[in-house]
Amino acid sequence: MTVKQRYCRVVHALFIVFLLIQFIPDKLSGETYSSYAIWFVVGVEVLTLIFSALIKKPVGLNLFADIVTFIYGLLTAWVLATAKFNLLKPALFPPPGKVFWQAVSDYEKIFVNIQSSIGIILQGYLLGIVIAVPLGLFLGWSARLGSAATYVSKFLGAIPPIVYIPYGIALLPTFRSVSVFVIFLATFWPVLGGTMSGVMNVEKKTIDSAKVLNVSRLTMLFSIMLPASLQQIFIGCNQGLTVSFVLLTSAEMIGAQSGLGYYIKNYSDFGDYTRTIVGLIVVGIVIVFISFIFNRIQKFLLRWKV
Amino acid sequence: MSKIEIKNLTVDYTEKKKSFTALKDVSFSIEEGEFVSVIGSSGCGKSTLLSILEGINTPTDGKILIDGEPIRGTGTNRGVVFQHYSLFPWMTARKNVAFGIKQVYKGVNRAERLKIADEFLGKVGLEQFRNKYPSQLSGGMQQRVAIARALAMDTDILLMDEPFGAIDAKNRTILQELLLELWEGDGTKARKTVVFVTHDIDEAILLSDKIVMMTANPGRVYQEIEVPFDRPRNRANLVQTKEYNKFRNKLLALFYSDIAEKIGGEEVVL
Repeated sequence: MTVKQRYCRVVHALFIVFLLIQFIPDKLSGETYSSYAIWFVVGVEVLTLIFSALIKKPVGLNLFADIVTFIYGLLTAWVLATAKFNLLKPALFPPPGKVFWQAVSDYEKIFVNIQSSIGIILQGYLLGIVIAVPLGLFLGWSARLGSAATYVSKFLGAIPPIVYIPYGIALLPTFRSVSVFVIFLATFWPVLGGTMSGVMNVEKKTIDSAKVLNVSRLTMLFSIMLPASLQQIFIGCNQGLTVSFVLLTSAEMIGAQSGLGYYIKNYSDFGDYTRTIVGLIVVGIVIVFISFIFNRIQKFLLRWKV
Repeated sequence: MSKIEIKNLTVDYTEKKKSFTALKDVSFSIEEGEFVSVIGSSGCGKSTLLSILEGINTPTDGKILIDGEPIRGTGTNRGVVFQHYSLFPWMTARKNVAFGIKQVYKGVNRAERLKIADEFLGKVGLEQFRNKYPSQLSGGMQQRVAIARALAMDTDILLMDEPFGAIDAKNRTILQELLLELWEGDGTKARKTVVFVTHDIDEAILLSDKIVMMTANPGRVYQEIEVPFDRPRNRANLVQTKEYNKFRNKLLALFYSDIAEKIGGEEVVL
């Protein structure tokens, strides 16, 4: 890539536009914390420049630049509509600087809530996978149990896990255990279904190749069936993960004393929409981050696929 | 006592309420250290026969004895190479070989298994490719790995189901010569007993001590022919001899007379 291709981009023009509009005087009364927005954008710009200098493929840079362009565009419109021209209701639409300021000053509280949410998700999710995968392998492998189990899991899996919450609250002592239980269910059924259908669809030639090697039953399940149906298992895991987030944040809004859903619900109850927006952004970031790690794990474990 | 005795083997299949006989009353025996090819046109039951030897299928009637003992399922005394590459796609070449070794030698540790795997991958000329996944290897290379695995398992018997059937002509020739060389060995070790299914007459002559020709509908043994050429064999020298061509023509005549018989001698489409 030439220097021009690397650095001569719309995204940098937008960056300068964003800085320039800071010279327009604020119309909004009260503190707008513009410096937080400026520092955020400067940070993103520095990252973009480093990335531009290091990246090798033009496609990757285009994608990155387009995403940053979107962020700049959004922030510019947001600043103009709030702090600069006061077009929206200030109570509902705080300026971006204030959101960033709030995020920074609430740093510890947010961190605790992230920890609480991720802790519950991981516990329920991992428990679901650890039980569903071996069970799915076993059920999928034994032909007769497998076909019965398919119907049972279709029926039980069709019940949206959120409707278990009231029953869960009656059954289990704490909110945390109810959340873990519901996330466990939300993960268990799709992973069990994915594993079973994966095992039932393993090619005959793979099974025969293993049989003629005289593998033991356990080896057959865990060294052959497990990797052979891994792709299907991941489909189930993905579904479980998506549903888990929806469930947990909803559950936290209903009855929790901590967690990201609680953070959002609690402050919007008090009319603190700055913190509500902070919460929304944090939830987005956390989910994107976890999905990213999940995809990395999936890519690594399926690296042998063409 | 023969190494393998196939006695009155009959296999009936039922598919969609229609039953047909894949093998009918097939009997022949294979001596220890003998290389036997089973040839025949498609549908003659040669692959069915091999699947019973592998222990994947069970016969409707009759039995197969190995060292005098009837076959019950798969066994560690038989190594198998399929036509369709039987490697596990999630294992690298050396892991595939090592996995096979692990199933036979329970006591051997990981490092030793990998060492044996590397040794056999070297024998088939793939030492540089040992860390590749099957999807990164050509069909011929995958088949070399499968052969390395079967040899590394060091079973008494090697069962090969059209192992070179899906490989291009040039690589097939190379692989046949490789197999011949590895099987004939340097004379220090006893040769393995091999049952080799193919539809390629030249392949059968080059490799075998005995050729069992089968005929279809139902699958039966048509002829058993001893291959009279001395070992070690060399393709280039062998194909130039008069005897080879005479023998080959005789086999071809038998092969097609069977087909002509089947369709009433009216029309032979080759």
